[in-house]
Amino acid sequence: MKLDIVHDLQSVYRKLVDSTSRPGLISDLGKEAALLDGKNAAGCSNSMLLLALTLLDPEVTFKVYGSDAEAAEKEINQLTFAKAVQADQADYLFILEDAGAGTLDEAIENANPGTFVNPHKSALIIAETGAISAGECLLLKGPGIQTSTGIKMDLIGNWIERRKEKNREYPTGVDLVFVDRNHQLLSLPRTTQIALNREEEREWVM
Amino acid sequence: MNTAYNFAFFDEGSKREIRRATLKAIAIPGYQVPFASREMPIGRGWGTGGLQLTLSLIGKEDVLKVIDQGSDESVNAVSIKKLVSDTTGVQITDHTSRATIIQSRHRIPEVPLNKDQILVLQVPLPEPLRYFEPSEHETKKLHAEKEYSGAWLMLFEQIMKYGSMTTGADHPVMVHDRYVMAPSPIPRFDNSKMNENEALILLGAGREKKIYAVPPFTKIVSLDFEDYPFEGESFDGKCCRLCGSEGVFLDELIDEATGETYYQCNDTSYCCEILNEVEKAGVN
Repeated sequence: MKLDIVHDLQSVYRKLVDSTSRPGLISDLGKEAALLDGKNAAGCSNSMLLLALTLLDPEVTFKVYGSDAEAAEKEINQLTFAKAVQADQADYLFILEDAGAGTLDEAIENANPGTFVNPHKSALIIAETGAISAGECLLLKGPGIQTSTGIKMDLIGNWIERRKEKNREYPTGVDLVFVDRNHQLLSLPRTTQIALNREEEREWVM
Repeated sequence: MNTAYNFAFFDEGSKREIRRATLKAIAIPGYQVPFASREMPIGRGWGTGGLQLTLSLIGKEDVLKVIDQGSDESVNAVSIKKLVSDTTGVQITDHTSRATIIQSRHRIPEVPLNKDQILVLQVPLPEPLRYFEPSEHETKKLHAEKEYSGAWLMLFEQIMKYGSMTTGADHPVMVHDRYVMAPSPIPRFDNSKMNENEALILLGAGREKKIYAVPPFTKIVSLDFEDYPFEGESFDGKCCRLCGSEGVFLDELIDEATGETYYQCNDTSYCCEILNEVEKAGVN
Protein backbone atom coordinates (compact mmCIF):
# COMPACT_ATOMS: atom_id res chain seq x y z
CA MET A 1 0.00 0.00 0.00
CA LYS A 2 1.59 3.24 -1.14
CA LEU A 3 -1.16 5.30 0.39
CA ASP A 4 0.02 7.97 2.79
CA ILE A 5 -2.44 7.78 5.66
CA VAL A 6 -1.77 11.36 6.68
CA HIS A 7 -1.84 13.33 3.44
CA ASP A 8 -3.89 11.14 1.12
CA LEU A 9 -6.62 10.57 3.68
CA GLN A 10 -6.67 14.30 4.41
CA SER A 11 -7.32 14.85 0.76
CA VAL A 12 -10.10 12.22 0.75
CA TYR A 13 -11.65 13.93 3.77
CA ARG A 14 -11.56 17.35 2.14
CA LYS A 15 -13.30 15.95 -0.94
CA LEU A 16 -15.91 14.40 1.35
CA VAL A 17 -16.36 17.78 3.08
CA ASP A 18 -16.70 19.53 -0.31
CA SER A 19 -19.24 17.02 -1.59
CA THR A 20 -21.24 16.95 1.65
CA SER A 21 -21.40 20.71 1.99
CA ARG A 22 -22.38 21.05 -1.69
CA PRO A 23 -24.64 18.07 -2.45
CA GLY A 24 -24.51 17.27 -6.14
CA LEU A 25 -20.85 18.23 -6.40
CA ILE A 26 -19.10 15.10 -7.64
CA SER A 27 -15.57 14.60 -6.28
CA ASP A 28 -12.93 12.40 -7.88
CA LEU A 29 -11.12 9.97 -5.57
CA GLY A 30 -9.22 8.47 -8.52
CA LYS A 31 -5.80 9.75 -7.50
CA GLU A 32 -5.99 8.37 -3.98
CA ALA A 33 -7.72 5.14 -5.08
CA ALA A 34 -4.85 4.41 -7.48
CA LEU A 35 -2.45 4.36 -4.53
CA LEU A 36 -4.18 1.33 -3.02
CA ASP A 37 -2.79 -1.97 -4.34
CA GLY A 38 -5.09 -3.52 -6.92
CA LYS A 39 -8.37 -5.01 -5.89
CA ASN A 40 -8.39 -6.27 -2.35
CA ALA A 41 -9.45 -9.78 -1.47
CA ALA A 42 -12.73 -8.82 0.18
CA GLY A 43 -14.39 -7.26 -2.86
CA CYS A 44 -14.61 -3.66 -1.66
CA SER A 45 -13.75 -1.06 -4.23
CA ASN A 46 -10.71 1.08 -3.55
CA SER A 47 -12.76 4.23 -3.04
CA MET A 48 -14.93 2.44 -0.47
CA LEU A 49 -11.79 1.33 1.38
CA LEU A 50 -10.48 4.89 1.29
CA LEU A 51 -13.64 6.14 2.97
CA ALA A 52 -13.41 3.35 5.58
CA LEU A 53 -9.81 4.33 6.31
CA THR A 54 -10.77 8.00 6.55
CA LEU A 55 -13.71 7.56 8.92
CA LEU A 56 -13.37 4.32 10.87
CA ASP A 57 -11.42 3.47 14.01
CA PRO A 58 -12.11 1.45 17.19
CA GLU A 59 -14.47 4.17 18.45
CA VAL A 60 -17.12 3.43 15.81
CA THR A 61 -19.05 0.46 14.47
CA PHE A 62 -19.98 -0.66 10.96
CA LYS A 63 -21.78 -3.25 8.87
CA VAL A 64 -21.20 -4.45 5.33
CA TYR A 65 -23.86 -5.62 2.86
CA GLY A 66 -22.57 -7.74 -0.01
CA SER A 67 -22.32 -11.23 -1.41
CA ASP A 68 -19.38 -11.98 0.86
CA ALA A 69 -20.06 -9.45 3.59
CA GLU A 70 -18.19 -11.42 6.23
CA ALA A 71 -14.91 -11.30 4.34
CA ALA A 72 -15.31 -7.58 3.75
CA GLU A 73 -16.13 -6.97 7.40
CA LYS A 74 -13.04 -8.90 8.41
CA GLU A 75 -10.89 -6.90 6.01
CA ILE A 76 -12.24 -3.54 7.20
CA ASN A 77 -11.90 -4.62 10.83
CA GLN A 78 -8.27 -5.57 10.27
CA LEU A 79 -7.52 -2.30 8.55
CA THR A 80 -9.30 0.05 10.97
CA PHE A 81 -10.01 -2.01 14.16
CA ALA A 82 -13.63 -0.84 13.98
CA LYS A 83 -16.15 -3.42 15.13
CA ALA A 84 -18.76 -5.03 12.85
CA VAL A 85 -22.25 -5.03 14.39
CA GLN A 86 -25.95 -5.39 13.48
CA ALA A 87 -27.31 -2.89 10.96
CA ASP A 88 -29.45 -0.93 13.42
CA GLN A 89 -26.50 -0.33 15.75
CA ALA A 90 -23.90 0.53 13.13
CA ASP A 91 -22.50 4.03 12.69
CA TYR A 92 -21.44 3.25 9.13
CA LEU A 93 -23.17 0.94 6.64
CA PHE A 94 -21.23 -0.15 3.57
CA ILE A 95 -23.14 -1.53 0.59
CA LEU A 96 -21.02 -3.33 -1.98
CA GLU A 97 -22.02 -3.35 -5.61
CA ASP A 98 -22.72 -7.10 -5.60
CA ALA A 99 -25.17 -6.79 -2.69
CA GLY A 100 -28.13 -7.10 -5.04
CA ALA A 101 -31.08 -4.91 -5.85
CA GLY A 102 -33.08 -3.62 -2.92
CA THR A 103 -30.20 -3.82 -0.43
CA LEU A 104 -29.92 -0.05 -0.25
CA ASP A 105 -33.64 0.17 0.57
CA GLU A 106 -33.14 -2.42 3.30
CA ALA A 107 -30.11 -0.59 4.70
CA ILE A 108 -31.95 2.74 4.76
CA GLU A 109 -34.83 1.10 6.58
CA ASN A 110 -32.61 -0.59 9.17
CA ALA A 111 -30.14 2.22 9.71
CA ASN A 112 -30.10 4.16 12.95
CA PRO A 113 -31.72 7.57 12.35
CA GLY A 114 -30.55 9.06 15.68
CA THR A 115 -32.92 10.80 18.05
CA PHE A 116 -34.31 14.34 18.26
CA VAL A 117 -31.97 15.06 21.17
CA ASN A 118 -28.97 13.41 19.51
CA PRO A 119 -29.47 13.44 15.73
CA HIS A 120 -25.71 13.12 15.24
CA LYS A 121 -25.84 9.54 16.45
CA SER A 122 -27.43 8.55 13.15
CA ALA A 123 -25.79 6.29 10.59
CA LEU A 124 -23.93 7.16 7.40
CA ILE A 125 -24.60 4.81 4.50
CA ILE A 126 -21.84 4.43 1.91
CA ALA A 127 -22.92 2.62 -1.23
CA GLU A 128 -21.20 1.51 -4.43
CA THR A 129 -23.21 2.26 -7.54
CA GLY A 130 -22.92 2.28 -11.31
CA ALA A 131 -21.79 5.52 -12.92
CA ILE A 132 -22.37 8.87 -11.22
CA SER A 133 -22.24 11.96 -13.40
CA ALA A 134 -23.66 15.42 -13.78
CA GLY A 135 -27.03 15.26 -15.49
CA GLU A 136 -30.68 16.00 -15.06
CA CYS A 137 -32.15 12.68 -13.87
CA LEU A 138 -32.30 13.62 -10.22
CA LEU A 139 -32.88 17.20 -9.13
CA LEU A 140 -31.38 18.17 -5.79
CA LYS A 141 -32.41 21.03 -3.56
CA GLY A 142 -31.50 22.13 -0.05
CA PRO A 143 -28.65 23.66 1.96
CA GLY A 144 -25.41 23.72 -0.01
CA ILE A 145 -27.22 24.16 -3.32
CA GLN A 146 -27.87 27.65 -4.68
CA THR A 147 -31.12 26.90 -6.49
CA SER A 148 -31.11 23.33 -7.71
CA THR A 149 -28.60 20.98 -9.24
CA GLY A 150 -28.94 17.83 -11.33
CA ILE A 151 -27.15 14.49 -11.23
CA LYS A 152 -27.33 11.23 -13.10
CA MET A 153 -26.85 7.94 -11.32
CA ASP A 154 -27.22 4.30 -12.32
CA LEU A 155 -29.16 2.94 -9.39
CA ILE A 156 -32.46 1.17 -9.36
CA GLY A 157 -34.87 0.59 -6.53
CA ASN A 158 -37.11 2.65 -4.34
CA TRP A 159 -34.28 4.14 -2.36
CA ILE A 160 -35.37 7.74 -2.98
CA GLU A 161 -38.80 6.99 -1.55
CA ARG A 162 -37.34 5.01 1.37
CA ARG A 163 -34.87 7.76 2.15
CA LYS A 164 -37.62 10.36 2.11
CA GLU A 165 -39.63 8.28 4.54
CA LYS A 166 -36.64 7.75 6.81
CA ASN A 167 -35.74 11.44 6.81
CA ARG A 168 -39.31 12.63 7.25
CA GLU A 169 -38.79 13.80 10.80
CA TYR A 170 -35.82 16.09 10.39
CA PRO A 171 -33.30 16.38 12.14
CA THR A 172 -33.37 12.58 12.51
CA GLY A 173 -32.44 10.66 9.40
CA VAL A 174 -29.59 9.05 7.52
CA ASP A 175 -26.90 10.53 5.31
CA LEU A 176 -25.86 8.83 2.09
CA VAL A 177 -22.56 8.73 0.23
CA PHE A 178 -22.22 7.05 -3.16
CA VAL A 179 -19.05 5.98 -4.96
CA ASP A 180 -18.93 4.57 -8.46
CA ARG A 181 -16.46 2.35 -10.32
CA ASN A 182 -14.59 5.39 -11.60
CA HIS A 183 -14.10 6.61 -8.02
CA GLN A 184 -16.57 9.47 -8.36
CA LEU A 185 -18.06 10.47 -5.02
CA LEU A 186 -21.48 11.95 -4.37
CA SER A 187 -22.84 12.85 -0.96
CA LEU A 188 -26.52 13.31 -0.09
CA PRO A 189 -26.92 14.55 3.49
CA ARG A 190 -30.38 14.33 5.06
CA THR A 191 -31.20 17.96 4.25
CA THR A 192 -31.06 17.38 0.49
CA GLN A 193 -34.40 16.95 -1.24
CA ILE A 194 -34.34 14.68 -4.26
CA ALA A 195 -36.89 14.89 -7.06
CA LEU A 196 -37.08 12.57 -10.04
CA ASN A 197 -36.92 14.53 -13.23
CA ARG A 198 -39.30 12.65 -15.51
CA GLU A 199 -38.91 13.75 -19.12
CA GLU A 200 -42.36 12.43 -20.07
CA GLU A 201 -44.04 14.43 -17.38
CA ARG A 202 -42.27 17.58 -18.39
CA GLU A 203 -43.30 17.11 -22.00
CA TRP A 204 -46.87 16.47 -20.97
CA VAL A 205 -46.95 19.65 -18.89
CA MET A 206 -45.49 21.65 -21.73
CA MET B 1 8.47 23.18 9.61
CA ASN B 2 9.09 21.30 12.85
CA THR B 3 9.17 17.58 12.06
CA ALA B 4 9.27 16.54 15.71
CA TYR B 5 5.47 16.84 15.65
CA ASN B 6 2.85 15.02 13.61
CA PHE B 7 1.66 16.80 10.48
CA ALA B 8 -0.96 19.30 11.70
CA PHE B 9 0.02 18.58 15.32
CA PHE B 10 -2.67 15.96 15.92
CA ASP B 11 -2.40 12.20 15.80
CA GLU B 12 -4.58 10.64 13.10
CA GLY B 13 -7.10 9.29 15.62
CA SER B 14 -7.85 12.77 16.92
CA LYS B 15 -8.26 14.13 13.40
CA ARG B 16 -10.64 11.29 12.53
CA GLU B 17 -12.84 12.01 15.52
CA ILE B 18 -13.03 15.73 14.73
CA ARG B 19 -13.65 14.93 11.06
CA ARG B 20 -16.54 12.59 11.86
CA ALA B 21 -18.15 15.27 14.05
CA THR B 22 -17.61 17.90 11.34
CA LEU B 23 -19.33 15.80 8.67
CA LYS B 24 -22.35 15.30 10.93
CA ALA B 25 -22.39 19.03 11.65
CA ILE B 26 -22.50 19.80 7.91
CA ALA B 27 -25.33 17.30 7.46
CA ILE B 28 -27.40 18.94 10.25
CA PRO B 29 -26.88 22.71 9.79
CA GLY B 30 -26.86 24.64 13.06
CA TYR B 31 -26.92 21.57 15.31
CA GLN B 32 -24.12 21.46 17.87
CA VAL B 33 -22.30 18.16 17.54
CA PRO B 34 -20.39 17.20 20.70
CA PHE B 35 -16.77 16.17 20.16
CA ALA B 36 -13.83 15.15 22.34
CA SER B 37 -12.06 18.49 22.37
CA ARG B 38 -8.32 17.90 22.67
CA GLU B 39 -5.85 19.53 25.01
CA MET B 40 -4.08 22.13 22.89
CA PRO B 41 -0.85 24.07 23.40
CA ILE B 42 -2.94 27.24 23.81
CA GLY B 43 -5.43 27.87 26.60
CA ARG B 44 -9.05 26.78 26.30
CA GLY B 45 -11.14 29.76 25.34
CA TRP B 46 -8.35 31.15 23.15
CA GLY B 47 -9.46 29.63 19.90
CA THR B 48 -8.89 25.93 20.54
CA GLY B 49 -12.16 24.96 18.84
CA GLY B 50 -11.29 26.82 15.68
CA LEU B 51 -7.72 25.59 15.82
CA GLN B 52 -8.82 21.97 16.09
CA LEU B 53 -11.10 22.37 13.08
CA THR B 54 -8.31 24.05 11.09
CA LEU B 55 -5.81 21.31 11.97
CA SER B 56 -8.26 18.54 11.04
CA LEU B 57 -8.94 20.20 7.66
CA ILE B 58 -5.58 21.46 6.56
CA GLY B 59 -3.42 19.85 3.88
CA LYS B 60 -0.09 20.69 2.30
CA GLU B 61 -1.67 22.69 -0.52
CA ASP B 62 -3.77 24.96 1.71
CA VAL B 63 -3.16 28.64 2.24
CA LEU B 64 -4.10 29.82 5.71
CA LYS B 65 -5.29 33.18 6.99
CA VAL B 66 -5.97 33.77 10.67
CA ILE B 67 -7.65 36.92 11.97
CA ASP B 68 -8.53 38.07 15.43
CA GLN B 69 -11.20 40.80 15.58
CA GLY B 70 -10.38 41.75 12.01
CA SER B 71 -6.64 41.93 12.59
CA ASP B 72 -4.06 39.62 11.03
CA GLU B 73 -1.38 40.79 13.41
CA SER B 74 -2.82 40.48 16.91
CA VAL B 75 -1.05 38.15 19.35
CA ASN B 76 -3.69 35.42 19.21
CA ALA B 77 -3.79 35.33 15.40
CA VAL B 78 0.00 35.31 15.13
CA SER B 79 0.39 32.49 17.68
CA ILE B 80 -2.18 30.32 15.94
CA LYS B 81 -0.58 30.97 12.54
CA LYS B 82 2.84 30.06 13.95
CA LEU B 83 1.57 26.82 15.46
CA VAL B 84 -0.15 25.73 12.24
CA SER B 85 2.69 26.71 9.92
CA ASP B 86 5.32 25.12 12.21
CA THR B 87 3.50 21.81 12.21
CA THR B 88 2.32 21.77 8.58
CA GLY B 89 4.59 24.06 6.55
CA VAL B 90 1.58 25.58 4.76
CA GLN B 91 1.63 29.05 3.25
CA ILE B 92 0.25 31.88 5.33
CA THR B 93 -1.44 34.90 3.81
CA ASP B 94 -3.10 38.14 4.86
CA HIS B 95 -5.10 38.40 1.63
CA THR B 96 -8.61 37.08 2.16
CA SER B 97 -9.10 36.15 -1.50
CA ARG B 98 -5.89 34.07 -1.59
CA ALA B 99 -6.68 31.94 1.47
CA THR B 100 -8.31 28.51 1.27
CA ILE B 101 -8.90 28.25 5.02
CA ILE B 102 -9.69 31.35 7.04
CA GLN B 103 -9.76 30.97 10.81
CA SER B 104 -11.38 33.95 12.43
CA ARG B 105 -12.26 35.23 15.84
CA HIS B 106 -15.35 37.44 15.91
CA ARG B 107 -15.42 38.69 12.29
CA ILE B 108 -16.41 37.59 8.83
CA PRO B 109 -13.97 39.30 6.42
CA GLU B 110 -15.16 42.23 4.31
CA VAL B 111 -14.02 40.60 1.05
CA PRO B 112 -16.83 38.20 0.00
CA LEU B 113 -15.84 34.56 0.43
CA ASN B 114 -15.84 32.17 -2.52
CA LYS B 115 -16.68 28.51 -3.05
CA ASP B 116 -13.10 27.31 -2.62
CA GLN B 117 -12.79 28.72 0.87
CA ILE B 118 -13.72 27.44 4.31
CA LEU B 119 -14.33 29.92 7.11
CA VAL B 120 -13.57 28.57 10.57
CA LEU B 121 -15.02 30.61 13.41
CA GLN B 122 -13.85 30.38 17.02
CA VAL B 123 -16.74 30.15 19.44
CA PRO B 124 -16.60 30.88 23.18
CA LEU B 125 -20.27 30.07 23.98
CA PRO B 126 -21.95 27.85 21.38
CA GLU B 127 -25.27 27.56 23.20
CA PRO B 128 -27.64 30.43 22.32
CA LEU B 129 -30.06 29.30 25.04
CA ARG B 130 -27.48 29.20 27.84
CA TYR B 131 -28.32 32.75 28.97
CA PHE B 132 -31.64 31.61 30.40
CA GLU B 133 -31.12 27.85 30.80
CA PRO B 134 -27.97 26.72 32.64
CA SER B 135 -28.50 22.99 32.17
CA GLU B 136 -27.02 21.35 29.05
CA HIS B 137 -29.49 18.48 29.44
CA GLU B 138 -32.38 20.98 29.26
CA THR B 139 -31.04 23.05 26.35
CA LYS B 140 -30.53 19.87 24.32
CA LYS B 141 -34.18 19.04 24.99
CA LEU B 142 -35.28 22.55 23.97
CA HIS B 143 -33.37 22.20 20.67
CA ALA B 144 -34.88 18.75 20.12
CA GLU B 145 -38.39 20.13 20.55
CA LYS B 146 -37.64 23.34 18.63
CA GLU B 147 -38.83 25.16 21.73
CA TYR B 148 -37.29 28.57 21.24
CA SER B 149 -39.72 30.85 23.08
CA GLY B 150 -36.94 31.56 25.60
CA ALA B 151 -34.68 32.97 22.88
CA TRP B 152 -37.41 35.34 21.68
CA LEU B 153 -38.36 36.20 25.25
CA MET B 154 -34.75 37.21 25.94
CA LEU B 155 -34.91 39.67 23.02
CA PHE B 156 -38.39 40.82 24.07
CA GLU B 157 -37.14 41.62 27.57
CA GLN B 158 -34.30 43.66 26.13
CA ILE B 159 -36.81 45.67 24.11
CA MET B 160 -38.98 46.17 27.21
CA LYS B 161 -36.01 47.31 29.30
CA TYR B 162 -33.97 49.31 26.82
CA GLY B 163 -36.25 50.00 23.87
CA SER B 164 -34.25 47.90 21.42
CA MET B 165 -32.50 44.56 21.12
CA THR B 166 -29.19 45.02 22.92
CA THR B 167 -27.22 42.07 21.61
CA GLY B 168 -23.97 43.78 20.65
CA ALA B 169 -22.57 40.68 19.06
CA ASP B 170 -23.58 37.01 18.90
CA HIS B 171 -27.18 37.89 17.98
CA PRO B 172 -28.94 34.49 17.67
CA VAL B 173 -29.91 33.26 14.22
CA MET B 174 -32.29 30.63 12.87
CA VAL B 175 -30.56 28.13 10.59
CA HIS B 176 -32.47 26.39 7.77
CA ASP B 177 -35.74 27.08 9.63
CA ARG B 178 -34.82 24.56 12.32
CA TYR B 179 -32.06 25.36 14.80
CA VAL B 180 -31.43 28.56 16.72
CA MET B 181 -27.67 29.03 16.61
CA ALA B 182 -25.07 31.31 18.17
CA PRO B 183 -23.20 32.79 15.18
CA SER B 184 -20.18 33.29 17.51
CA PRO B 185 -19.57 36.84 18.73
CA ILE B 186 -19.50 38.41 15.26
CA PRO B 187 -21.00 41.90 15.23
CA ARG B 188 -24.62 42.13 14.06
CA PHE B 189 -23.17 43.79 10.95
CA ASP B 190 -21.79 40.37 9.90
CA ASN B 191 -24.95 38.31 10.54
CA SER B 192 -26.33 39.00 7.08
CA LYS B 193 -23.08 37.76 5.51
CA MET B 194 -23.84 34.28 6.85
CA ASN B 195 -27.10 34.06 4.93
CA GLU B 196 -26.64 32.18 1.64
CA ASN B 197 -22.87 32.57 1.89
CA GLU B 198 -20.86 30.93 -0.89
CA ALA B 199 -18.30 29.39 1.47
CA LEU B 200 -18.69 26.63 4.02
CA ILE B 201 -18.69 28.06 7.55
CA LEU B 202 -17.53 25.80 10.40
CA LEU B 203 -17.78 26.85 14.02
CA GLY B 204 -15.75 25.25 16.79
CA ALA B 205 -15.99 25.66 20.55
CA GLY B 206 -13.00 23.99 22.21
CA ARG B 207 -13.84 24.65 25.84
CA GLU B 208 -17.51 23.71 25.35
CA LYS B 209 -16.57 20.77 23.09
CA LYS B 210 -18.99 21.51 20.26
CA ILE B 211 -18.69 21.71 16.48
CA TYR B 212 -21.42 23.11 14.25
CA ALA B 213 -21.68 24.25 10.68
CA VAL B 214 -23.44 26.41 8.15
CA PRO B 215 -23.15 24.86 4.67
CA PRO B 216 -22.95 27.21 1.66
CA PHE B 217 -26.25 28.66 0.44
CA THR B 218 -28.08 28.01 3.69
CA LYS B 219 -30.87 30.23 4.92
CA ILE B 220 -29.84 32.17 8.02
CA VAL B 221 -32.33 34.55 9.64
CA SER B 222 -31.44 36.75 12.60
CA LEU B 223 -34.15 36.50 15.27
CA ASP B 224 -36.36 39.60 15.44
CA PHE B 225 -39.95 40.85 15.67
CA GLU B 226 -42.23 42.32 13.02
CA ASP B 227 -42.32 45.68 14.79
CA TYR B 228 -38.68 45.52 15.94
CA PRO B 229 -36.79 44.29 12.90
CA PHE B 230 -33.20 43.14 13.23
CA GLU B 231 -30.67 45.82 12.40
CA GLY B 232 -26.93 45.62 11.97
CA GLU B 233 -24.62 48.34 13.28
CA SER B 234 -24.96 51.41 11.11
CA PHE B 235 -22.03 53.54 9.99
CA ASP B 236 -24.02 56.02 7.96
CA GLY B 237 -22.01 59.07 6.99
CA LYS B 238 -18.81 57.64 8.44
CA CYS B 239 -15.81 56.33 6.59
CA CYS B 240 -12.38 54.89 7.31
CA ARG B 241 -9.84 57.59 8.13
CA LEU B 242 -7.08 55.69 6.29
CA CYS B 243 -8.67 54.24 3.16
CA GLY B 244 -11.96 56.12 3.01
CA SER B 245 -14.08 52.96 2.75
CA GLU B 246 -17.77 53.21 3.47
CA GLY B 247 -20.22 50.40 4.18
CA VAL B 248 -17.68 48.31 6.08
CA PHE B 249 -17.44 47.54 9.79
CA LEU B 250 -15.58 50.44 11.42
CA ASP B 251 -13.79 50.74 14.76
CA GLU B 252 -14.50 53.93 16.67
CA LEU B 253 -11.29 55.42 18.07
CA ILE B 254 -10.57 58.56 20.04
CA ASP B 255 -7.48 60.69 19.54
CA GLU B 256 -6.36 61.21 23.12
CA ALA B 257 -4.48 64.42 22.37
CA THR B 258 -7.30 66.24 20.61
CA GLY B 259 -10.30 64.28 21.94
CA GLU B 260 -11.48 63.85 18.37
CA THR B 261 -13.43 60.72 17.38
CA TYR B 262 -12.37 58.96 14.21
CA TYR B 263 -13.15 55.70 12.43
CA GLN B 264 -10.97 53.02 10.92
CA CYS B 265 -11.64 49.73 9.10
CA ASN B 266 -11.84 46.83 11.53
CA ASP B 267 -10.66 44.41 8.82
CA THR B 268 -7.01 45.49 8.60
CA SER B 269 -6.04 43.44 5.55
CA TYR B 270 -9.00 44.84 3.60
CA CYS B 271 -7.94 48.37 4.55
CA CYS B 272 -4.33 47.65 3.50
CA GLU B 273 -5.42 46.24 0.15
CA ILE B 274 -7.49 49.34 -0.61
CA LEU B 275 -4.61 51.62 0.41
CA ASN B 276 -2.13 49.68 -1.74
CA GLU B 277 -4.43 49.89 -4.75
CA VAL B 278 -4.77 53.64 -4.31
CA GLU B 279 -1.01 54.01 -4.02
CA LYS B 280 -0.38 51.88 -7.10
CA ALA B 281 -2.84 53.94 -9.11
CA GLY B 282 -1.17 57.14 -7.88
CA VAL B 283 2.33 56.02 -8.91
CA ASN B 284 1.20 54.97 -12.36
